[in-house]
Amino acid sequence: MKPSILFAALLLTAPLSALAASATYKIDPAHTYPHFSISHLGFSTMHGRFDKTSGTVTLDRAAKTGSMDITIDTNSISTGFAKRDKDLMSPDFFNVAEFPTMTYQASSITFKGDTPTSVNGSLTLLGVTRPVKLAIDSFHCGIFPMNKKEKCGAGASADIKRSDFGMKTFLPGIGDDVKLVFEIEAYKE
Amino acid sequence: MQDLLNHPAMQGGIAPFFTALLAAALLRRWNLSGLALIAGFLVTAFMIGVLGIEPLTATRKVILLGVFAALLGVVLSKSSWRFMRSTLAFGGGLASIWVIWRILVQHNEFLTALPWAVGTASYVGWLIFWSDRLHDKPIRAGSAGLALGLGTGVVALFGSSVTLGMLGMSLGAASGAFLLLQLLGMRPLACGRSFTLSLSLLAALVGCLGTLTANLPWYALMILGAIPSAAQIPVPQKSSIWLQSLQLSAAALLCAAGAVYLTWRVTGAPPI
Repeated sequence: MKPSILFAALLLTAPLSALAASATYKIDPAHTYPHFSISHLGFSTMHGRFDKTSGTVTLDRAAKTGSMDITIDTNSISTGFAKRDKDLMSPDFFNVAEFPTMTYQASSITFKGDTPTSVNGSLTLLGVTRPVKLAIDSFHCGIFPMNKKEKCGAGASADIKRSDFGMKTFLPGIGDDVKLVFEIEAYKE
Repeated sequence: MQDLLNHPAMQGGIAPFFTALLAAALLRRWNLSGLALIAGFLVTAFMIGVLGIEPLTATRKVILLGVFAALLGVVLSKSSWRFMRSTLAFGGGLASIWVIWRILVQHNEFLTALPWAVGTASYVGWLIFWSDRLHDKPIRAGSAGLALGLGTGVVALFGSSVTLGMLGMSLGAASGAFLLLQLLGMRPLACGRSFTLSLSLLAALVGCLGTLTANLPWYALMILGAIPSAAQIPVPQKSSIWLQSLQLSAAALLCAAGAVYLTWRVTGAPPI
């Protein structure tokens, strides 16, 4: 076989082999900010985010399987107002002295074609674990132009009730329904 | 109705006050009126949704210990063993380490966690030791409970959290009811260790949690620690029960006010 034909064959099959392999992606903390929104006594919707997140995502797009293991540092909560952040860190809400992290773990990812559409996992917050299904709203993989490394990114969201996790202070004034949004970028390892 | 039940004043003040008043009146004939304190405290814990076992958070451990202390107090109320006071203080100090264990292990280094452990155990032991001197002095115990509960509740509200604040204030409200029933009946109720042991343990642990989990300054607790001694000031025994309780409560509340002022200077307004 001529080298040029061999090269062309390799080029054609490369995307297929990429699809077939199970890959592990490590969270890029500089571009991963889980955030949340919640009703403030019905007047407005307040937003907050967590600045420190770590973890891994595995994807096998050919086998349509995957898993997710995310740890969020609840000490890194930020709502743009330092006094409120302190209140949110107190035992009334995230109780960060006792529970410095919350985790999201999933061993099942649902695909449509080769694109993941939802994640079936469980969220552990304040020592309470509840099943939470994340709907994947956006998904994109490719080569990151700055460092030429392979990277995937996704936006996923879920609606939870904070009272399910024992966070009951100021209910029902401060809403029980919380929208969680995970904006994630992760480099292939 | 639901709005009324959700109101902090109802949860941390009115409900525990009337629960304790009723409990103290009903239990008077068995000399168990001291249990009114834990009854008021439990009502608040129930209303703010922190009663439970799973997960066993520090706050829930405090509640469990409070119930245990109240029951133990019933058993030990008649005991005159000479080392009782020291033993209770030591046991309370050890139990406090169990309460804050999960917080302590978040510190990566032993030497960082050690001062918090020693400080917490010392404060809990201190309050138990000095409050135990009041277990056979119901007017003094009620006055101390009023000030210690209100003081702990308000400093916890300012420096820490609404949850701890309301738990603290429920102790003050329940103690106020215990005191009021004595004033209305013009005779002291049986107090016992079921009142003083649970009061001192709960108030100390709520205060320590406020310091460990939020921004309650530790030196405010030192002022609150003087309350059991303030409730020991000499008052004329021949004066009316109203006047005695007024003098004792004023002395104890002065300490509480000092602690509140210090906390307010450091932390500013409460979150509500």
